[in-house]
Amino acid sequence: MILLWAVIIGLLAGSIRAWVGGRPLISPDLRLIWLVPVALVPQVLAFYIPTIASIWADNIVATGLVVSQMLLLVFVWFNRRQPGFWLLSLGLALNLLVIILNGGLMPISPETVTKLLPNAAPNTWELGSRLGRSKDIVLPVVETRLWLLSDRFLLTLPNRVAFSLGDVFVATSTIWFLWAMGGPKRYSSPMLNFLCLLRQN
Amino acid sequence: MKRNIQQLKSTLGQMDQRHVRIGLLVLTLVLFVLGAGAPGEGSCC
Repeated sequence: MILLWAVIIGLLAGSIRAWVGGRPLISPDLRLIWLVPVALVPQVLAFYIPTIASIWADNIVATGLVVSQMLLLVFVWFNRRQPGFWLLSLGLALNLLVIILNGGLMPISPETVTKLLPNAAPNTWELGSRLGRSKDIVLPVVETRLWLLSDRFLLTLPNRVAFSLGDVFVATSTIWFLWAMGGPKRYSSPMLNFLCLLRQN
Repeated sequence: MKRNIQQLKSTLGQMDQRHVRIGLLVLTLVLFVLGAGAPGEGSCC
């Protein structure tokens, strides 16, 4: 849920930018927008509804996560000309890469889990297993492929959360996109943007 | 008077449409970040 803060911050920043500039917020035309809720279905079933999440085996959950993120990658590819979407696709691709290389779940080291759950009982998690009902799998650093891209950063405020470099890029690009919504209207053609700039000046 | 009411209706209609579009866009982004991100939360277990 930490990434929702990026949406809130971006929306506030974009709204303030639009208000200062005396413009309405732009609503860009995103392509294949229906693909996002469709792509999220496997994740909702696997992670977000506790009663249903508990019935799936870990390999089904892993497959669902990979398929879901691949569909999201198709969505960002079709919208790659939108502000910040190249960074969004990079963040998603980095997460997807490390997830695929480690069996379909995001690796997290035991050291990070200890800091993430300092008061957890000893049997709360174990090596090689999924961390609760999350997208993470607990793997030692030496057994993790591309450890640099795993959930290795830790934030303690407002909640304890471990996150990856890909998550940082996803959050940054979300803020960027929403910030751009508060700016002047952009056109798909660079020439039209240039002419519009000339007209404003 | 009638023309003013029609103009007001048209403006309100445009505003509503724009707000609905922005609302849908923000909802899409919320769903996207939930799906694209993979943070481990302290409340997970």
